[in-house]
Amino acid sequence: MDYDLNEEQELLKKAAKGFLSKECKPLFVREMEENPQGITPELWQKMAELGWMGLIFPEKYGGIGGSYLDLMVLLVEMGYSCLPGPFFSTVILGGITLMEAGNEEKKQELLGGIAEGKIFVTLALTEATAGYSPERIAVKAEKDADDFVINGTKLFVPDAHLANYIICVARTKEGENKKDGITLFLVDAKSKGIVITPLKTFAGDKLNEVVFNNVKVPKGNILGELDKGWPIVKKVLQKAAIAKCAEMVGGGQRALELAIEQVTEREQFGVKVGSFQAVQHHCANIVTYLDTSRLMTHQAAWRISEGLPCEREIAMTKAWVTDSCRSLVALAHQAVGGTGFMEEHDLQLYFRRTKAAGVYFGDADFHREALADVMGL
Amino acid sequence: MDFEFTKEEKALQEEVREFIKKESTPEMLKETEDMGDIYGAPEGRKIIQKMAAKGWLTPTWPKEYGGLGVSDVASYMIREEMGYHGLPFGFVAAHMAGPTILRFGSDEMKKKWLPRIASGELEFALGYTEPQAGSDLSALNLRAEDKGDYFLLNGTKLFNTSCHIADCHWLACRTDFDVAKHKGVSMMIVDLKSPGITISPLITMAGWQTNEVVYEDVRVPKENLVGEKNKGFYYLMAALDFERMFPLGRYRRVFDELVEYTKETIVDGKAMSKDPLIRQKLAQLSTEIEVTRLLYYQLAHILDKGGIPNYQSSMEKTFATECAQRIVNVGMDVLGLYGQLKEGSKWAQLKGKVEKFYRTSIVETIYAGTSEIQRNIIAQRGLKLPR
Repeated sequence: MDYDLNEEQELLKKAAKGFLSKECKPLFVREMEENPQGITPELWQKMAELGWMGLIFPEKYGGIGGSYLDLMVLLVEMGYSCLPGPFFSTVILGGITLMEAGNEEKKQELLGGIAEGKIFVTLALTEATAGYSPERIAVKAEKDADDFVINGTKLFVPDAHLANYIICVARTKEGENKKDGITLFLVDAKSKGIVITPLKTFAGDKLNEVVFNNVKVPKGNILGELDKGWPIVKKVLQKAAIAKCAEMVGGGQRALELAIEQVTEREQFGVKVGSFQAVQHHCANIVTYLDTSRLMTHQAAWRISEGLPCEREIAMTKAWVTDSCRSLVALAHQAVGGTGFMEEHDLQLYFRRTKAAGVYFGDADFHREALADVMGL
Repeated sequence: MDFEFTKEEKALQEEVREFIKKESTPEMLKETEDMGDIYGAPEGRKIIQKMAAKGWLTPTWPKEYGGLGVSDVASYMIREEMGYHGLPFGFVAAHMAGPTILRFGSDEMKKKWLPRIASGELEFALGYTEPQAGSDLSALNLRAEDKGDYFLLNGTKLFNTSCHIADCHWLACRTDFDVAKHKGVSMMIVDLKSPGITISPLITMAGWQTNEVVYEDVRVPKENLVGEKNKGFYYLMAALDFERMFPLGRYRRVFDELVEYTKETIVDGKAMSKDPLIRQKLAQLSTEIEVTRLLYYQLAHILDKGGIPNYQSSMEKTFATECAQRIVNVGMDVLGLYGQLKEGSKWAQLKGKVEKFYRTSIVETIYAGTSEIQRNIIAQRGLKLPR
């Protein structure tokens, strides 16, 4: 057993921390919450130059050939700094879907562009039914000669406003087995009939309603096979779930630091607040939630990286990290007190983001139910 | 990173399981359950001495003292297997006193005691707690007077489990009353058959026995002093850093049996395991058990790297013991009215195991440092919060 990051991962972590502490300060995070784009082209280009967008793509597609575990290291730091923007949607939801399902031509065409920071891709998966099971996919794609025509509304689509391409998860066949008959379409975001409407979110995420109104997609733009899209979606969801866990762990680390800063500085009754056992026990619980979340995330990411069976670990990890990180930020608020309730204190950034992250790609109940299946219950 | 056992560790795990399967007897299993997983009773001695002959009781010790010189991960794995399969797994001599002697004892002391500990021939009883010294261990005042070639001991120990079946007392006593409390404590090994020792049973709500141990003019030879005089509190604390851990195996077994029970038990025409609420609860426990596993082997990983676990051992102990309580609490809820039926009763389920462990679990968060003391340690040592 070896619980440690390797040397390169430690270097990546340090470099990412250094870069983000300069380029992604809390003030910038707040500005981007208000900014409709959610990112500046300057920062995005700098990230591309660091090789972040191509970190996990093979070298032949213009990437760096890093592992999923390397990506996790980066995501922890992004969570720590509350990095805004479309990294998650483009690299994880878009990039990983393309890696899993794209043919050689599409990979050549798009992955390099993503790595260079020139192409944005997102995944249009959830709908008004707001869930991550195949039963919830109702947006229809119907065959029309050499094209498919998509109709329906996708909701909570991240960064669709920036996207060059939207990967739409659509139903192409109705039947008893809901996992069957789902197809992934790579849709040019400028296609006629697409209407994108931004939603106002409490964590500052740029989510959108994307209406497909008789949108024509050539059948060559199917990713993977017709009707056989769900297993791909499931794989992407699993990787995305652990990626979210990594972000939450990074955010949790910052929340702990903010709590410790406050309780070691502030005095009440003539002593440091952090000397009270009630406060110490809150802090002990915070670090327990954090350490266990980190360990679970590392293990799941390691298993994904190694190509080991990981359905069980992924379900456990997303459930555990979702609940734990939410609780830990709430406890950090309790430790920090009234100051942390102020907009200008950074803790509130994490309080909002952690809750949003918990809901993405299946909340704790969803993953416990998935785990119950794995356990044969 | 790597979160799996090595090939060798996996092979060892298989070997240990095979051995336990072959050598376990119903008498040993019952004895261990009745005693509370401690070591020293006759049936336990039989199987443990056979295990010890393979080096499995003290696998990380050097070969010259009866160990195998293998990784701490392997050692932790063996303990987890022992707990899971109902063998004694609470060893004072092999897992607390022995490592302290190994680190701080004289060569003479090592030669005299370690091989007999490693072979399972000797078990010690922990001699820390006193009526006025629980969480505040430094308040202990069992008096040991220096009489030249021996110490003369007087005082009372409380909740000293194992004393009725162990051979020796691993005793913390006060050798200096004129210095700061923690600077006047010494560690000694005392033969529990020494004249002047009176052991009185205290029966717990778990049915286990613990003891009050009264010392009246008990003579202890000087050679039984561990390390240096008045350094005992330091040894004791150092030992806790190395040894504070809780293998969940025992409760993990209860959980596994509970899971099977819900699959096999039909209520309202369908298996209990199909009930959404039960699924949520069992999945949550399964997750917590996995979390515990990672915390547990983290300690071994730190030791294998040559480090000393710091707040992590407090975290593991607290998490594991609180998880144990959640396991049996859910177990009682799942069993409902049946949960209250004891082993041997008509209609008892799972041999009354759940209610039994429900009772035992309550002390897990109290002994070996309460959850509150552990959280103090996590905060003060791990997070450097002010005292």
